[in-house]
Amino acid sequence: MNVFIRELKVNRYPLLAWSVGVVLLIYSGMLKFAGYQSSGQSINQILDQLPKSVQAILGLNVGIDLSSAKGFYAILFFYIILVATIHSSLLGAGIISKEERDRTSEFLFVKPIPRAKVLTAKLLAAFCNILVLNLVTLVSSVCLVAIYNKGASATHDIILLMAGMFFLQLIFLSLGAAIAGISIKPKGSASIASAILLFTFLLSIFIDFYSKLENLKYLTPFKYFDAKSVLTSGKLDPFYLVLSAIIAVVLVATTYLFYTKRDLDV
Amino acid sequence: MNIFWHELKQYRRSTIVWVLSLCFIVLFFLSLFPVFSKDVETVRKIFESYPVAVRDALNVQIDIFFTLNGFYLFIFTYILLTGSIQAANLGVGIISKEAAGKTFDFLLTKPITRTQLITRKIAAALTLLIVTNIVYLAAAVFTANTVSHGDFEMNIFILISLTLILVQLMFFTIGLFLSAVLPKIKSVVTVSLPLVFAFFIIGMLDSIFGNKVRYLTPFKFYDPAYIIKNGTIEFKFLLIEAIFIVIVTVAVYYLFNKKDISAAD
Repeated sequence: MNVFIRELKVNRYPLLAWSVGVVLLIYSGMLKFAGYQSSGQSINQILDQLPKSVQAILGLNVGIDLSSAKGFYAILFFYIILVATIHSSLLGAGIISKEERDRTSEFLFVKPIPRAKVLTAKLLAAFCNILVLNLVTLVSSVCLVAIYNKGASATHDIILLMAGMFFLQLIFLSLGAAIAGISIKPKGSASIASAILLFTFLLSIFIDFYSKLENLKYLTPFKYFDAKSVLTSGKLDPFYLVLSAIIAVVLVATTYLFYTKRDLDV
Repeated sequence: MNIFWHELKQYRRSTIVWVLSLCFIVLFFLSLFPVFSKDVETVRKIFESYPVAVRDALNVQIDIFFTLNGFYLFIFTYILLTGSIQAANLGVGIISKEAAGKTFDFLLTKPITRTQLITRKIAAALTLLIVTNIVYLAAAVFTANTVSHGDFEMNIFILISLTLILVQLMFFTIGLFLSAVLPKIKSVVTVSLPLVFAFFIIGMLDSIFGNKVRYLTPFKFYDPAYIIKNGTIEFKFLLIEAIFIVIVTVAVYYLFNKKDISAAD
């Protein structure tokens, strides 16, 4: 319990900073939307005729109506998940590896608690952090969108997208934790986690550019809950929900398996 | 000189990885150019049917859009993103890693001043960035030449590519500055990633800031469309960057010379 509370305490200011960042992002996005809405021109139909590769180059999300709050939020969602996944992968890698990095692991593990218990407390604390960030994003999105939106309510869609984002956060949190759990030199775990994040992010853009790579979409979580398909189908794809859950469970299990056994870097 | 070589050695592997990633990204994107230019005629017709206001909003100039350089202009964002992370990592890490690794007091017992120490570290980082850019430029020009069968304006292509190191230098100095100001950086990426992505997102949400966004984020600082049109980099912005870098670097020297370095216990 002490480890859990201590981790929450240590992470509260970073969490606050990330939350402020997300709120600012949504706020500035909505300011941009207000501009779109007032200009009154819906350019979407004409843009839809363009080949997909050209749309990708111009940064357009195919088939989304930018002049509706829902459509605009879908574009913004792309950047929100970028922020949220960076947060969770850094958090996951950091919360496990920092004891070795700061040379506090000897101190921690002479306490009468087994490693698995420490790990559980740390993962739970990290889980609370991503949950809070998700809720902050959800609440601020709903409020800010409601302020600027003059059309149909988008609350339901936002809740749906945030549920999808939560799964992405889980994947990257457990990815960071697993890397820190496995690696013998955990100092570099945050770098490796962010390298994977950058790679999957670029891969999702590659796929937009070149539709023949479509089959690689299983490799990049950024494609799992694509805003466009979520909004048109009105639900999260159950296949990807299961896939995300499996990935997260496997990664967490890996973390336990390796971290409870490996030599600590002291 | 020892410090210089030591830093080069320390960053050797990560620099190789960054260089390879940059080359891979440019290779991949540029190799899509033939696919993209195949649709030229249809797209051109569609674009020409758009009102000028829409074309302006999309930032599309038809005459350059279908050239290789026009294509490069759009993908260059992601090259910049990757390169900026590398530069920010270097800037944030190269001095602060001594504090994080508790090797600072060891280093400071050597018969060199802090100013000399910082100079050597900066020189090593600059060398790495220059090497990165040389290899990247060679790979990019080679790919561009292959996919377009030599049918592109090489000068302009090189000029656009050169803005990579200009943007990297900005992120490098910002990173250095952060490492001088923040009390203790335990993990480099937790500082550098939010830094770079914050600027990246500001750049992507550009239209709310209007034209001023250029002064807000290094990602929009150099306008490749201007380079394509005029064949030069805007001198005014080069000057601003130079002034920025000089001021920040002087501040970095000053701050590091006065900074309390906690000894290893």
